[in-house]
Order: sequence, then C-alpha cells, then structure tokens
Amino acid sequence: MTIVHNLFFFLVFPGFLFAAAIGLFAGWIDRKVTARLQWRVGPPWHQNFMDVAKLFCKETLIPEGCSRGLFFSMPVVALATATLASTIVAMANLSRAHGFIGDFIVVLYLAMVPSIAVMLGGAASGNPLANLGVSREMKLVLSYELPFVLASAVPIIKSGYAIRLGEILDCQIRDGAFITSPSGIVAFLVSLLVLQAKLGFVPFDVAEAETEIAGGVYIEYSGKALGIWKLTRAVLMVGLPILVSTVLLGGAGLPQYFLILVLMIVIKNTNPRVRIDQALRFFWGPVAGLALLAVVLAMIGR
Amino acid sequence: MNFRLNALTRSIYVFHLSSGSCNNCDIEIIDCLTPRYDIERFGIQLVGSIRHADVLLCTGSCNRQAIVRVQRLYEQAPKPVFVVAFGACGSSRGIFRDSYNTVEPLDKIIPVDAYIPGCPPKPEAIIDGIMKLIKKVRGTP
Amino acid sequence: MSGKELIAGLRERFPDKVRDIFEKSKTRIYATVDPGDIREVVVFLFKGLGLRFNIASAVDAFDAYEILYHFAEDSSGVELSVRVFLKDKNDPHIDSITTIIKGAEWIEREMHELFGIEFDGHPNMKPLLLADDWPKGVYPLRKEYKVEQRDDR
Repeated sequence: MTIVHNLFFFLVFPGFLFAAAIGLFAGWIDRKVTARLQWRVGPPWHQNFMDVAKLFCKETLIPEGCSRGLFFSMPVVALATATLASTIVAMANLSRAHGFIGDFIVVLYLAMVPSIAVMLGGAASGNPLANLGVSREMKLVLSYELPFVLASAVPIIKSGYAIRLGEILDCQIRDGAFITSPSGIVAFLVSLLVLQAKLGFVPFDVAEAETEIAGGVYIEYSGKALGIWKLTRAVLMVGLPILVSTVLLGGAGLPQYFLILVLMIVIKNTNPRVRIDQALRFFWGPVAGLALLAVVLAMIGR
Repeated sequence: MNFRLNALTRSIYVFHLSSGSCNNCDIEIIDCLTPRYDIERFGIQLVGSIRHADVLLCTGSCNRQAIVRVQRLYEQAPKPVFVVAFGACGSSRGIFRDSYNTVEPLDKIIPVDAYIPGCPPKPEAIIDGIMKLIKKVRGTP
Repeated sequence: MSGKELIAGLRERFPDKVRDIFEKSKTRIYATVDPGDIREVVVFLFKGLGLRFNIASAVDAFDAYEILYHFAEDSSGVELSVRVFLKDKNDPHIDSITTIIKGAEWIEREMHELFGIEFDGHPNMKPLLLADDWPKGVYPLRKEYKVEQRDDR
C-alpha cells in the first residue's frame, strides 16, 4: 500500500499534478501583474495551461547533430527531480513527523539538478547559441549556489543543527518563525535573490535571453520537449518558494507563498536584465557577504 | 471545436521573420505589444527561436538571397505552423515589384495563410488580420 | 569652416582642376573634377581640410556615369559633393580612393557590382550585395538593364 500511497503523493498531490497546476497558475499571476503594471490588460487565467497544451499538440523536431539520448532525457530528468523536491518539501509541511534525517540536504541537491539538466540539454542541442546559453547558465549556477548553501545553513544552525525539514518546522512553530530574528531576515533576503536566479526571472534570466540569444538553452527544443521544460519551470515555481518559506517563514501556507511570489514579481518588474559578469559579481560579492553575515549572526545566537 | 484547434488558436507564439524589410512593419509589430493595443491578451507572444513558433510573421519583400533562407526557416518551424504575409511587401512585393532583386512574391516561396496589407499596416489592421487567421484555422466563418 | 571658406580653399589649391563650383544652398556645395584628378582632390579634402567622407553615389546619366563623392564638414554642417563624369560607358574606370580613405572600400565594391565601374587599385574587389548566383557581367543599375530580362526562378 505504501508504494501506491507514495505514487499518489508524487504524481497527484502534493506532487506533479498539484504542483504543475499551482505553478502554471502562479505563472499566470506573474504575467497578469506584469501586464497591469504596464497598463495593459494581460492574458486570461487559462493562458499558461493553454500554452502547455498547445506545445504538446505540436510536433517535436530533432535537430541534426544533436545527441538524442541527452536531448530527450534531460527534460524528463529535470521534471522528475523538480517534482521530487517539491513533493518532499510539501509532505514535510503536511505531516511533520515524517521525512528522513537529511531530507533538507537532499532537497537542496535535487533543486540543483534541473539547472544541470538544462545545461546538458542545451549542450546536446548542437547549436552555438545554445552553447552560449549553457556557459551562461553554468556561470550563474556557480555563482548563486554559494550564497544559497550559506543561507540554508542558517535555519539548520538556529534549529539546533537539525537537518530534517519536519524538525526545522517544529522549532519554528515552537519558537517563532526564523525570519523574526536578524539572521533570519538576512537569510531570507539572500534566498529571495537566489530564488530569482534559480527560477530564471529577470534580472537574472541571462541563460534564456529571448531576444538576445534567440532562446538560449531552449533554442532547439520544440513541441513536447519544450512543454516538459515549461512544466519543470512551473513545478519549480511551487517547490522552491515553499522550500524557502518552510525553513524561514515557519511553514508554507498560502499567505507565505503569496508573499514570496509578490516580492519576486516586484523585483522582476523593476529591474532590467543584467549581464552575466554583473550577475557573477553580484552573487559572489554582496550576496555571499550577506549570507556569511547571516551565518555569523546565527552562530552567535541572534 | 476539438481540443487541438482550441489550444493552437488560444496560445500563439509568433516568430518575426524579416526578409529584407525597411523595418517600418517590424516597428508596427512591436507596437501591437504596447499597452494601447496589447495583443498579449489574446495569448500572443513573440518568441526568439524558430522552433518555438506557431505563426511566422513575414515582413519584407523576399529578395534573392533571402529566398533560400526563408524556405529553410519555414522547414525548421514545427508543424502545424501558419504563415502571415505582413505589409505590402510581404503580400505582393509592393513598390518593389519591378526590382531586379525581388523575383517572386512571398506566397510563391512558402505557403501563406493570411495577408495583412498596409505600408505599414496599422495595429488595428494587424489585429483584424490575426482574427481572420484564427477564424480560418478554426474553420468558423 | 563655412561654405565660403571651403570654396575659397578649393579655388586656391586647384584653380583649374576643380570646375563648376555650384553653391546650391548655404550648406550644399557641388564641384566637378576630372576622373584622373580625383585622388589629388580627395587627399586635399580628407587630409588637408579634414573633411569627413560620408558616402559616394553613382548614377547612369545616359551619356556618362556620374559618381558623386560626398564630404561632410561637421562643425558647420556643410556638405561638399565632388562630381566625376566617366564618359566611356563601355569601359568605365577610375582610381580607387580606398587607399586614402579606408571607409570607401565597401561603397566602391557596391558601385562596381551594380554599375560595372572599375576601380583601379582597389584592394579587395569582391561581390558585396548581389546574390551568389547572379550572372557575371550583368549590372542591374545600368539603364540598359531591363527588368523583363531578369531570370525569374
């Protein structure tokens, strides 16, 4: 029975179907708010669902000179790991006693795999513009993983060195969300900026710069493969914010998720895209410094 | 109307292909995305890569060098794809009909589904053309 | 330097080589030069007076090919166009000014490709604009080229 249970959790709720639906809807909220901020009307609520549905109705072209195994397996790998990460975090919220020791670390690793899959898929395309996007994505990942890991150390330290998501949640429910402490605020700020880059939002969407490098890593993907990439983005758009709100905001309810979503949309609409070297300097400089500050503050008990 | 047609006409990714235009039509395409006309509310988006395209918006009168390239791009777009000949140049080569460098109108090079005449077409004309294309694809009059 | 000073400088330096100096307006001056003297005049205008080479234009003027070299004087906004007539329409050629002004390379390639004008001493005369399968020896902007003779695919 547990296998059926786990499959249900992974595929339906709070796994793939739930996360994809919420993620596509959150993507629509982003588009609508962006449109409203630009005094436009914006697309209807079902737009993102229609986009994915249409992509699955088109043919998938295989470019000459691509390595097919990598090209087609990478989207699936990305979707699977993103769904798995999202499911683990959501399950930890639903029943705090479950989960396993170290599941926080596992989720951090799993959240990195879609970026690596994007890189491999883009490199397998055999297109020089895709290679450009891959090199940019690689540099971006190298730059934001450091502050992200440092910021993730803060809830671990503050909850008495617990590395199980359920325990971290227990600590927050007992003592108050970590964001109410100075180290928590700084860690939240760092996580928010890293989230912007992980999800590929402006100002850090150098890897998929639409007009600049014609789609970057996704340039050769079409039809169903592209649809799977869009679903991966949607699932990550649910999984990563609820990860951040689980460990720093004391749980992943609707108001916390909306807060993070609104902050990301505001940052997205008030900034232009930065160059890759500016992004690198930004993440390795001020952001890593802030993350280090957060860790130090957490260690001295603040 | 079946699900496929519904999805294809409610979410349209447009790829802008200029085969030697004077750029006025290109500016009018961007104009449609501005708040005054806002075609994103119809689900229309501009995409960067030909492989993501559902509609090829072809501006410019195809000159000799561009013929082969336009055909290759049409083959690179995943089917089903629709072609819209944009502007007077796209529809019939316009004032360049008697030029040494424009041998054929666009619809002899790739199959065209809709024409939007004008030099450049006003955004109202562009939206009307898009609606005509959508109605043609759906099969409704 | 104003238009008047430009004309005075030209008249002083080339009293007989530069003819028909026509001042169409305060900022537009035309002058006629023989094809053999073009390099001298261009050296004087470019290096001596410091004018900026804008572009060159050519037209098939029925009994000759007419090339205009447009020079700009940026501080006053004066444009000086040096006119050259190539009377031999079967074998038009003129010295290239690319070795003096590097920026003239492409416009001379374009004039060669579309008119058939030979530029003696041009370092890099390769086709620039026409399609790769354009027949050699057919110059589309000559008056004798008729649109009907284009080979439609």
